[in-house]
Amino acid sequence: MKDATLQDELLALARQEPQGRQLVERLLGLLDRATGTHGAALYVKTELGYRRELATAGSTDEDSLAEVLADGPGQLTFDGGLVRWHGTTGSSGVEAPALLLALVTAARELVLRGQLKRQDFEAKSRGVQLEALYDVGLAIASTLDFERLCEEILMRAVALSDARRGALYLKQAGRLELHRVFGGDAQARLDPEDEETQELLAGVPRPTCCVLPGALYVLGVSIAVDGLPKGLLVIGDKESRQGVGPFSPADRRTLDLLANQAAIALENADLHRQALEKERLEREIELASEIQRQILPKGTPVIPGYELAGWNRPAKHIGGDYYDIFPFVDGSSWGLVLGDVSGKGVPAALLVSTLHSALRLLLDRFELGADLFVRLNEHILASSASNKFITLLAARLDPATGELHYLNAGHNPGIVIGAGGGVEQMGPGGLPLGLMPGVSFRTEQATIAPGDLLCLYSDGITEAVGPDDVEFGFDRLTRLLAEGREEPLADLMRRIDREVSAHAAGLPQGDDQTVLLLRRSARWPAAQSG
Amino acid sequence: MTEALKLTIDRRDAFAVIHTEGYINNQGGEEIARAAYELLDSGYRRLLLDLTGTKIINSIGISILIEIIEKMLEVDGKLAFCSLTPTIEKTFHIMGLAQYASIYPDQTIAVVELAP
Repeated sequence: MKDATLQDELLALARQEPQGRQLVERLLGLLDRATGTHGAALYVKTELGYRRELATAGSTDEDSLAEVLADGPGQLTFDGGLVRWHGTTGSSGVEAPALLLALVTAARELVLRGQLKRQDFEAKSRGVQLEALYDVGLAIASTLDFERLCEEILMRAVALSDARRGALYLKQAGRLELHRVFGGDAQARLDPEDEETQELLAGVPRPTCCVLPGALYVLGVSIAVDGLPKGLLVIGDKESRQGVGPFSPADRRTLDLLANQAAIALENADLHRQALEKERLEREIELASEIQRQILPKGTPVIPGYELAGWNRPAKHIGGDYYDIFPFVDGSSWGLVLGDVSGKGVPAALLVSTLHSALRLLLDRFELGADLFVRLNEHILASSASNKFITLLAARLDPATGELHYLNAGHNPGIVIGAGGGVEQMGPGGLPLGLMPGVSFRTEQATIAPGDLLCLYSDGITEAVGPDDVEFGFDRLTRLLAEGREEPLADLMRRIDREVSAHAAGLPQGDDQTVLLLRRSARWPAAQSG
Repeated sequence: MTEALKLTIDRRDAFAVIHTEGYINNQGGEEIARAAYELLDSGYRRLLLDLTGTKIINSIGISILIEIIEKMLEVDGKLAFCSLTPTIEKTFHIMGLAQYASIYPDQTIAVVELAP
């Protein structure tokens, strides 16, 4: 290209006032034509060398330059980049320097703008990071949805560090269990003692590791509350426009901050979750308690010539004691039952329901006797845990004669207080129900004479412990019964309750307490009985 | 949880809608750019990016979206966004995307605004 032509082209370009990238493209094209159209290119300096930013159509320049030789014909370096061309300038060489000056000036401005843009982008990215940390902080006060919080924390960790993938582990039963994963597979369970896991918990960046299979770069950080590790946040493969690379110390700091915030947020959400679960359980227990109340007698039936009273107080919301008073189908005799399931709470209450249903169903088909108890024993054995058993005293009262036929499966013997105050214990009986198969039982007999008081009770009464670690005891109970043998039974029942409570002196009730009282009227005419 | 990006393109008379589902990262961003530039080449000058299915974006994805915005501005075109999560919307405001691209709460409103 002749100098005059080049000058004209430069003037024409100046009149058009192109800017930025377009100006550099036009000047680069002009340089290429001025040097014989062998190609020209602009490179921008990067951390890794020089990257080709613009090139003319015929350019054969590489995408990037790792090493750059000193300037000479065909190359001019400037602050932030360099221009390359492959031909030679025109005959006089007078206008070519002007073209190069214009090109380098425009290119430098373009590079500077790029740098400013990048710096602006990085500053704004840091703003996004700060906002994200602030948001996670806010979530501590506002988000109690544990699962949503876990997802949010993992996504923030992945996005803020430009990771391609990530995983969130939570500590359960001494191991780190995978709770959330993003962007690929992750190992389901980690052993905190494993060397690789230890490094991740310590924030040591790793190349490939089996926690995130296939990842080339992995960084982890511990989620700890009060110094105790509660989880592990892992991210993999930091992205750039060129592909993936290792995470930087800045990424580690960001992840650390996020994990600190996350730890508090997760702890709060977990506590909230536990509170909700407790509330749900309490509602269920209340419902179970209501069901159990339905099992116990509603009010006291009337047996002519007899006075009755029954009372039950579980140690927890629901208990393992059970009593019942019911007429037999013959219409003339009555059943009296008091049982005690080993243990307390829901498991015991479930077994009480089983006992109640089984006993009522068996009594529809069988006489109250040893055979029925054998069947009951087999049923309880089949439907309860191996460590569960039931003590049960079941009696059939003939109100006309006062005869009591009873079976005792390991329960506290009933007490009979005579009209004159004498104390007698009923027979001790056999083994509890549900303890072992093949157990035999025997029907015993007692007589409730006019004026006699019968007391069936659970060991929660006699074994109620006071502050001095002394039990309420059999003697205290029999003394109360003897003293109150002529009192209205409701009053006597309240007195027993008061005395047992006073003995415990505010200590938590250790076991379910049940009492069933029956007194044969001393004045009921023998002629009317039966 | 959404992961690899999936795109659905809805070509309408006056504009086209690119619906995204998944992570807008380097790979996802490149896919959006490819789709946007194809639409530009085929004459569309108004594009709507519906991010209903996207909950996560990283800085590489954002830088690619900025490039698309710049390219649209060079040809006097317009890029708009709709259905952003609060986190992504906040990110777009901080990163300056909201200065050069409109953000609508949902596609229904965006379509009304973008229609000639």
